[in-house]
Amino acid sequence: MAQSGLSALCLLPVATAWTLETMAKKAHISIPMLMVLPSLLLATGIIGYPILDLAWTSMQEVSRFGKLQGFVGWENFAEVFGDPLFYASLWRTGIWTGAVVAGTLLISMPVAMILNDDFYGRGLARVLVMLPWSISLTMTAVVWRWALNGRSGLLNATLMQMGVINEPIEWLAEASTAFTVEILVGILVSIPFTTTILLGGLSSMPQDAYEAAVVDGATGWHQFRYITLPLMKPFINIAIVLNVIYVFNSLPIIWVMTEGGPANGTDILVTYLYKLAFRFGQLGKASAISLIMFGVLLVFTLLYVVLLSRNEADAAPEDEVKGHDE
Amino acid sequence: MMSKAKRSILYWIILAPLVVVILFPFAVMFVTAVRPRDELFVYPPTWGFSEFRWENFAEMWVKTNFGGALLNSLYVSITATSAALILSIPAAYAMSRYRFAGKGLYKNFLLMTQMMSPIVLVLGLFRLMMTLGLVNDLNSLVITYAAFNMAFTIWMLQSYFNSIPRDLEEAAWMDGASHLTSLIRIFLPLAVPAIVVTAIFTFINSWNEFVLALTMMRSSEDFTLPVQIYSQVAGRYQVEWHHVMAGTVLATVPVAILFSWLQRYLIRGMALGAVK
Repeated sequence: MAQSGLSALCLLPVATAWTLETMAKKAHISIPMLMVLPSLLLATGIIGYPILDLAWTSMQEVSRFGKLQGFVGWENFAEVFGDPLFYASLWRTGIWTGAVVAGTLLISMPVAMILNDDFYGRGLARVLVMLPWSISLTMTAVVWRWALNGRSGLLNATLMQMGVINEPIEWLAEASTAFTVEILVGILVSIPFTTTILLGGLSSMPQDAYEAAVVDGATGWHQFRYITLPLMKPFINIAIVLNVIYVFNSLPIIWVMTEGGPANGTDILVTYLYKLAFRFGQLGKASAISLIMFGVLLVFTLLYVVLLSRNEADAAPEDEVKGHDE
Repeated sequence: MMSKAKRSILYWIILAPLVVVILFPFAVMFVTAVRPRDELFVYPPTWGFSEFRWENFAEMWVKTNFGGALLNSLYVSITATSAALILSIPAAYAMSRYRFAGKGLYKNFLLMTQMMSPIVLVLGLFRLMMTLGLVNDLNSLVITYAAFNMAFTIWMLQSYFNSIPRDLEEAAWMDGASHLTSLIRIFLPLAVPAIVVTAIFTFINSWNEFVLALTMMRSSEDFTLPVQIYSQVAGRYQVEWHHVMAGTVLATVPVAILFSWLQRYLIRGMALGAVK
């Protein structure tokens, strides 16, 4: 696609020398471009500009109040890489992302297979499974923060009334239990989106492959292992990459439930970044971390683009108006 | 093969634990929201309580300035959704109907913007809004929400637009109608359902956003609902949990109902667009 754009550009001087007819063709090129332009401008301004600003800020000494006080080169980055809290947060980000994405996928796959099958109450089941998606992560986290209250939380109430525990558990008072609980809540809120993607894949499965397999005497497990799983691979890959990006970036759950505490014990990169920027006023260092995270995201995004275009290569490009630019 | 009845029972048994965990927070919300205040911190903790106190909602509304935050959220979400749609509809139409130079590039650019979460850019955005004098101004949220939602709206609209047959427009072109006329008079009326669905999901996204609202809105009368509710919990020695939960009930239930009603369109849109 970029190539045809380039060739159009090369033709431009020739085209200007051409007759009215070619001028009209040129006008046709510019109509769709004009339609795209406003959205492009807004996205560039709001999403593109801050990246450049962050890159610039990360090379400066910055006062608490955001005044740039001179170029310092890589000093902010050096400070980040010399900070044990950065490594601790990075490590925890890895655990957080890995655990949430793996847990989500393990639960979503069977759930999607069930929701794709025909059974009584399927409409209701779909609504219920999708429910957490509709609610702000902030609200979910606020509710769980109260539900997990050590003294009077209703989770403790449930467990005590069922006789599972005798003493209330202080879920959020210790980093290890708090982090585990946060991961579980993270999984819960990621299931709807993941199930949706997998459902999209399952609904496009060829039925005859299963029928042939049944004729050949394949068991349920074999059908899953040798038909469903291989055919679902592109969808699973996309679910993984998208979830990695979303979970890696997710602030509200941890921020609302523990604010990275106790004693930085549940800090991941985003919470640490937010604290540096808006609590401790270390803006230079915060910009450096933002930029590092941007780099990581870029890698995952490129991976996603590659996966998508590989999927699209299989599907024929559908009805587009035949181009005027060739 | 299993009968449908047997299969249904089996499936519901498998889904039961998940459904319980999903519904648990809703139960917590309701039960806490209608509890008398002095039954919040009882030991041992219990689900039971003596009476339904519906007055909690009215009390909360007055004491926490819920109405103000509600208006802020409505203003931001409606304006941001309108802005995103006004910019996305022509772009999505162009992506769906024309082939033009740089189209593939633009598609990838949109993808990139969708992957950039506000949190990575939050410091840069805050500095940008400082420069523009928009900190503490709800319009800073309108602009950023519109920008961050645009990748989703364009992509969602495009996938629906692709499924609208183009014969009618082509006929109009034959009759000498300009592209703009055919877009407004013929195409848009057919696209209304797609636009409504996309608008509602953009609205919900804006309604639920937290990080940017927390950062840009510094004074309590500008808070949107998520920030307003968060501010009643964070850094407080004593949290009025019955008010907080009454607030979350009012802020989430209407949106949850709307979403439940529309989720199949989202699934359909995704099946059409993202992962063909």
